[in-house]
Amino acid sequence: MKAAHPVIKSLALGTMGFLYLPLFGVAVYSVNKAEKGLLWKGFTLDWYLQLFSNEWILSTALNTLALAVVSTLIATVLGTLVAIGINRFPWSKKANSMLDIMLHIPVVTPDIIMAGALVVAFGLLRVLSNVFEPGMFDMIIAHITFQIAFVALVVRSRLMSIGHDVEEAARDLFATNWYVLRRVMIPLMLPGVVAGAMLAFTLSLDDFVLSFFTAGPDSQTLPLYIYAAVRKGVTPEIHALSTLVVLITVVLVVGAERMSRKKEAC
Amino acid sequence: MPNRLFIWRGELTTRGSLTKRGLSFLSSGMLWLALFLIVPTLVFMALSFADRGEYGEIIWKFTVENYQRLMGYSVFGWTPDYLYILWRSVVVAGLTTLISVLLSYPLSFFIASRPPRSRYLWLTLVIVPFWTNMVIRAYAWFLILAPELPFAKVAAFLGLVPSGSALYPSPIAVYLGMVSMFLPFVTLPLYSSVERLDWSLVEAAQDLYSSRTRVFFKAILPQTLPGLSVGVVLTFVPAMGTFIVPDLLGGAKYMLVGNLIQQQFGASRDWPFGAAVSMALMILTMISLQLYRRRGEEIELL
Amino acid sequence: MRNALLVVMLLLTVFIRTGFAEDKELKIFIWSEYMDEKKFSADFKAATGIKVKIDIYENNEEMIAKLQAGGINQYDIIVPSDYVLPALISQKLIQPLDHSKIPNLKNVEEKFQHIPYDPGNKYAVPWQWGSVGLFYRKDKVSPEAVKSWSVLFDPKKQGGSFWFMDSVRDTMSIALLYLGYDANSANPQELKKAAELLAATKKTRYCQGFKTGVGGKNDVTAGRAALAVVYNGDAMRDINTDPKNLGFIIPREGSTLFVDLMAIPAKAPHPDAAHKWINFILDPKRGAMLSNYNRYATPNHASLPYIIPKDLKNDGIYPTPDSMKRLHSTKDLGKASRILDEAWTRVKSD
Repeated sequence: MKAAHPVIKSLALGTMGFLYLPLFGVAVYSVNKAEKGLLWKGFTLDWYLQLFSNEWILSTALNTLALAVVSTLIATVLGTLVAIGINRFPWSKKANSMLDIMLHIPVVTPDIIMAGALVVAFGLLRVLSNVFEPGMFDMIIAHITFQIAFVALVVRSRLMSIGHDVEEAARDLFATNWYVLRRVMIPLMLPGVVAGAMLAFTLSLDDFVLSFFTAGPDSQTLPLYIYAAVRKGVTPEIHALSTLVVLITVVLVVGAERMSRKKEAC
Repeated sequence: MPNRLFIWRGELTTRGSLTKRGLSFLSSGMLWLALFLIVPTLVFMALSFADRGEYGEIIWKFTVENYQRLMGYSVFGWTPDYLYILWRSVVVAGLTTLISVLLSYPLSFFIASRPPRSRYLWLTLVIVPFWTNMVIRAYAWFLILAPELPFAKVAAFLGLVPSGSALYPSPIAVYLGMVSMFLPFVTLPLYSSVERLDWSLVEAAQDLYSSRTRVFFKAILPQTLPGLSVGVVLTFVPAMGTFIVPDLLGGAKYMLVGNLIQQQFGASRDWPFGAAVSMALMILTMISLQLYRRRGEEIELL
Repeated sequence: MRNALLVVMLLLTVFIRTGFAEDKELKIFIWSEYMDEKKFSADFKAATGIKVKIDIYENNEEMIAKLQAGGINQYDIIVPSDYVLPALISQKLIQPLDHSKIPNLKNVEEKFQHIPYDPGNKYAVPWQWGSVGLFYRKDKVSPEAVKSWSVLFDPKKQGGSFWFMDSVRDTMSIALLYLGYDANSANPQELKKAAELLAATKKTRYCQGFKTGVGGKNDVTAGRAALAVVYNGDAMRDINTDPKNLGFIIPREGSTLFVDLMAIPAKAPHPDAAHKWINFILDPKRGAMLSNYNRYATPNHASLPYIIPKDLKNDGIYPTPDSMKRLHSTKDLGKASRILDEAWTRVKSD
């Protein structure tokens, strides 16, 4: 393609700078010796070391991870099943569009509405059973609910790109339904399933609104912790924590991209 | 319809057994969504018609008072406060989307003009903030807008803020935060369309039209419409309901509808009113989606 | 097969949740920066073997909201202000205390044993009391200006950037007092004027908005703001670190007085530990340690001999009878609370 016009180039680079300026600021001040204020007082890794000895932050990080892992696992299974169910079977046009709408609702609805609805729902369910206290259980349910839709949509688009020739060919060769599913569909779907799972995982790690409304005192996650801390006043420790989170995100993104590129090859 | 045998994707089967199998796949996921999404939303809708006790308890008595308050009719006479918040949310979301689109085009063109190898690098650079936590990205602006840094100093010089104070909370801070938050949401889908641009058409247009803008509108915009539409929807709707950015960067001085809802579930302890406001937001969302659908594009978000 | 998998997953999540519950634990839900959390937790554990976990809130309404949303069986101790006791009691959110487990109750000063909202300390035991006032930087605002709330409300008298307190009763009371009304007015006309005043002030250049008492205090100390409406104890702590530049005053129109108490939520998981904690705090030396740290006034009669003498003479902490005339207790408004909440939503959203 032709080279970019200098105006376009400078606009583009300026925009990238704009995107990264705040994050860069956080990273810089995470290694600044000064505890308050913005004067540069020398390089230090103290704040990072302090993080690792902070028991509360470590348990919060663990919560975040556990929440993401469990909810992703369940949501991926459910979402994949739904995707297969929608794509591989003949439904009437009306049924198809209804299913389509149902899947898109969590994606387009502002999450605060979902959060409010779940708070009310859990409040009522709590009367029936104690297990619906604000806490990890509620959070997992909330996360799964929006993750299913994302996973289903990703897997479905993968299924659509696979097409049904392969299935027909397998059946022509007298494959049973079970065989078609296990030996043909699943291997072909796998890149889509993995992509959906990774999408769900990152969405869960990053989620703030749903967690905010359903968390209990023992089940704080990193985004909630950072939010509460930041409202009182920013400290270099928070900068260190945030920089770490950004770095981990970079690793996840690059890793995910590498994996998807490898799988696309087959 | 009689349960005849027919061929579906190479399989000899009946409609009935297909339906049964299909449902068995769909059931678990759809049941989950029904239980934890559809039913709560319906209950939520019902809640918007409920009453609030003196200390914040829910009283299940039918009333339209919440909607009346939303329209402005309260104990204090008529005020358009809440309607104004809804309006402001639409405006902020709209401006954020517009600015993001204006910045995303040059960015997409730039990335598309890179050699294929470094494109991945640039895309990764755009994706990383996209996946980074919203809270971090919002509070990071506290540093940039702090009183010690030039930006706040310039603003103080211009009289926009008292001298010595930070550039937040303020509408400027909210817009900066919103655009930096939602920019990747537009850039990524837009880029996928820009990458597939047929430049021969653009060159043809350049031969036909003398003005750059006409070339853009006649040759580039139509081709990028699919990606652009997805980006706009993915930005406008969440931007209307966002509450972290206005909360951290706007404080109580610049409230959006997301903050209003969150407040009702927090210190204001007025769940029914919160539900009513959420319904209003829901209606706004559906209207925007309808307008988007009317343009003929099918929503193919992922 | 897949259904069995699902069941296993769900069971797993239940176990993850319940597996972490401990027996020897005390969960405290308290205002931020209200005690020396590390020291008191360590001392309590040394004395009783019970581990203390602390969760923070920034105003009463937030705390009640949390309890209403399912927190009554997640905390053992909460620290409400006196005026919310009727709300907590009527909604059965707190449980009556077992006085036999709190022998140190006798240390509480006479007048705090008979507070109007809970005579006889049936549900709650006093923790600290204090007032709300104006915390300011002497290098940015003149001592004359801060003698009246007009330094915040009057556009002609505003001198520096400031924060209101993000607390409905305290801030509304200040606006009502400034306008010459009763601090606990429930008159819709008066509330409307107060709400409009606050909303209009909020829009001025100097007003930064609403922040928690502690947050506003931190901003003034750091120099990011010139004034903030804060709780007196928080102000006193920071003034000690920089007495030349920081000051605290209760303006002449008056302000609010509060009494915070310890209470036990209705379904607290460890009520026994909670009673031990209350008794622990009421110990004379412990009560003094608390007040000497957070610089609020102690309701504990037996602690007075151990309080820092300078604090006892400090009008900002133990107000003179003259100053007390300007301080108004916040009252529970019963049915009228609702109008107040609506007014507050208006203030914040305008």
